[in-house]
Amino acid sequence: MREGILSPELERILNLIGMLGIVGIILGSFVYQFSYHELPCTLCLLQRVAMLAVAVGAAMNVMLGPDSRHYGVCLVSAVFGIAVSIRQSLLHINPFFDKKTGQPTLEATANPPFGQEVFGLNLYIWGVIIFTVTFLAVGVVQLLREQSNWPTHEPAWLSRLASLGVGLLVVVMAAQAVMVFMECGLGDCPNDGGWNWWIFR
Amino acid sequence: MMTAAMILLTISCVFLWWQKAQWVWLPVLAALIIGTIIFVQDVDFSTNLGIQL
Repeated sequence: MREGILSPELERILNLIGMLGIVGIILGSFVYQFSYHELPCTLCLLQRVAMLAVAVGAAMNVMLGPDSRHYGVCLVSAVFGIAVSIRQSLLHINPFFDKKTGQPTLEATANPPFGQEVFGLNLYIWGVIIFTVTFLAVGVVQLLREQSNWPTHEPAWLSRLASLGVGLLVVVMAAQAVMVFMECGLGDCPNDGGWNWWIFR
Repeated sequence: MMTAAMILLTISCVFLWWQKAQWVWLPVLAALIIGTIIFVQDVDFSTNLGIQL
């Protein structure tokens, strides 16, 4: 066993905080979506898939105990998420690109940003930041954690808190799945940012 | 497709919470593969990629 600064209990608490942070982001996106009457586009939904997959990796650390494989789930999901976020950022980073013709243009508003801003940044830019923070957080925890396979003592309060937190993740994830079904059905999702639910068409 | 990815994630999380199942990374991986397929289909290579690169 190699000694580390982070005990398994502290590691589980940090993972729980990270997981609840992602739950908060997804709940915030629900509020944003319903208050502005803007349905998320395909790339936006893919970023939500990636964030929820990162949350499952953190939830595995919380429920099953910290393990490198669980951090692997977080990293693989974050790689997918940052690829989607960067793609969407690049689509809107150049206002002189006309999406309709696929050609450069002199009109600076030919390629406007998608959706509303949050704290001055569009959501896909926040996506890049969130997935980058995920990489950093996993890297730092890997540096500081104890490399141990010994079964750890599990405080009862931590188990109850973990069960409650992951239960909340299940509820948010199920709500997101129902919303995606109502928006997209079993086919492609709309990309116009409007309020046209598949189920009401 | 997107609905399938979300359902897979939900299933993995339910079994993690309910049974502390070790295999829940498998549906997560499947959801990410579905996501990758949707992502690649969304890229309009013929009109966009030539200019962006």
